[in-house]
Amino acid sequence: MSRKQLTDTELDALVVRSLSRLPVRAPSRGFSKRVMDRVQLPSPRPVRAFQRVRSWVAQPRRALALAGAYVVAATVALVIAVPWLITHSPAIGFVFNWMAARGSTLARDVAVSAARWAVSSGFAELFGSVPLKTTHVWILAFGATAAYAGCAIGLHFLLRAPREKHVPAHVQA
Amino acid sequence: MALGKDLQTLSDQEVVALARAGKDAAYRELLRRYERPVFSLIFRMVRDRALAEDLSQDTFVKVLNALDSYRPEFKFSSWVFKIANNVAIDQLRRRELDTLSLDGAPDARTKDEVAATALQAVDRTESPLAELESRELGSMIEEAIAKLRPEYRSCILLRHVEGRSYEEIAETLDLPLGTVKTYIHRARHELREYLDPYRE
Repeated sequence: MSRKQLTDTELDALVVRSLSRLPVRAPSRGFSKRVMDRVQLPSPRPVRAFQRVRSWVAQPRRALALAGAYVVAATVALVIAVPWLITHSPAIGFVFNWMAARGSTLARDVAVSAARWAVSSGFAELFGSVPLKTTHVWILAFGATAAYAGCAIGLHFLLRAPREKHVPAHVQA
Repeated sequence: MALGKDLQTLSDQEVVALARAGKDAAYRELLRRYERPVFSLIFRMVRDRALAEDLSQDTFVKVLNALDSYRPEFKFSSWVFKIANNVAIDQLRRRELDTLSLDGAPDARTKDEVAATALQAVDRTESPLAELESRELGSMIEEAIAKLRPEYRSCILLRHVEGRSYEEIAETLDLPLGTVKTYIHRARHELREYLDPYRE
C-alpha cells in the first residue's frame, strides 16, 4: 500500500477508530476510600427532619419562647374556661349526663355483643383451656413493665437536648 | 454482599435514590460506575496523573455531597461529566496545561513520572496504515488531543472516547447542539491535520 493511498476519509475513520480504542485510565488504589472519607453520608430523611426540628427548638431563646407561649396559652385558657364553665354549669351538667347515659348504653351494648361473640365462636372455651398460672402472669407483668421502662428511657435519649448545636451540612449549604 | 450485587442491576436513578436515603453501598456503587470514565476524561484534559486524581476526587466529592440537588429527569452520567468537565476546565484556566511536552508532563519530577507521561515518537519507515494503526497511534492521538482547545477536547472525548450522544454532550457542556457538532467536526479536522504528516 502506498503512503498516498491514505485519503482524508480513511484518515478520519482512523482517527475515530483510534479515539474509541484509547485505553480507559484507572485511578490509583484506594481512590474510592479517599473519596468516601471526604463525603458526608446523610442520615435517613425522617431523622434529618427530626434533627432539624429538635435543633431549632433546642436553641435557648426559642425553647424559652415556646415555654412562655405555653404558659400564656394555658393561663388564658384557664381565665376564659373557668368563668365560662361556672356560668354554664347547668347546661354543661345536662350535656354531660346525656353523654354519659349514651356512652354507658353504647358500652354495654358493645360488651354484650362481644360476650355473645366470645361464647358463640368458642373463643371463651379456648381462652379457658389455656394453662395460665400465676408465674405466667408475673412474667407478663414484668415484661410489660420492662418494655414500658425501655420506651421511657428511649424517649428520654431521643428527646433530650443536644449537647452542641448540630446542624447537618446540607442545611448549612 | 447481596445488596452490592443488587445495586449493580439498578439504574443510576435508582442507585441515587438509595444514596439519598443514606445507603453507604449506593455511594460506593456510583463511585465504582464512574471512577474510571471520569478519571480518564480528566486525565486526558489535564495530562497529569496526580492532578487528575485530585480533580477526580474533587469531582466525586462535589457529586456525592450534592446528590440532593440532582434532578432525576436528567441523565446522571451527564450531570457527573458536567461537573468533571467544569472542574477540569477551571483547572486548565488556572494553569495553562494544555501544552504538551514530548519529554513528559511539565510537573513530572522523577524518572518514572517522566517515562509515564512522555509521548512516543513514531518511526516513519513503516507503511502509513501499519504505522498509524500501530501501538504508537494511541500516543499520537493523545498528543493530538492535548493540543486541541479545551472545548474541542471535551467534546471529542465525550463523543468518541466515552461514546456519548450529541444531545447528551450538549446537555453536559451547556452548549447548543449545533455548536457541539461544529466543535466535534473541527476537532476531528484538527486531529486529521496533526496526523497528516504521517501519511506523506
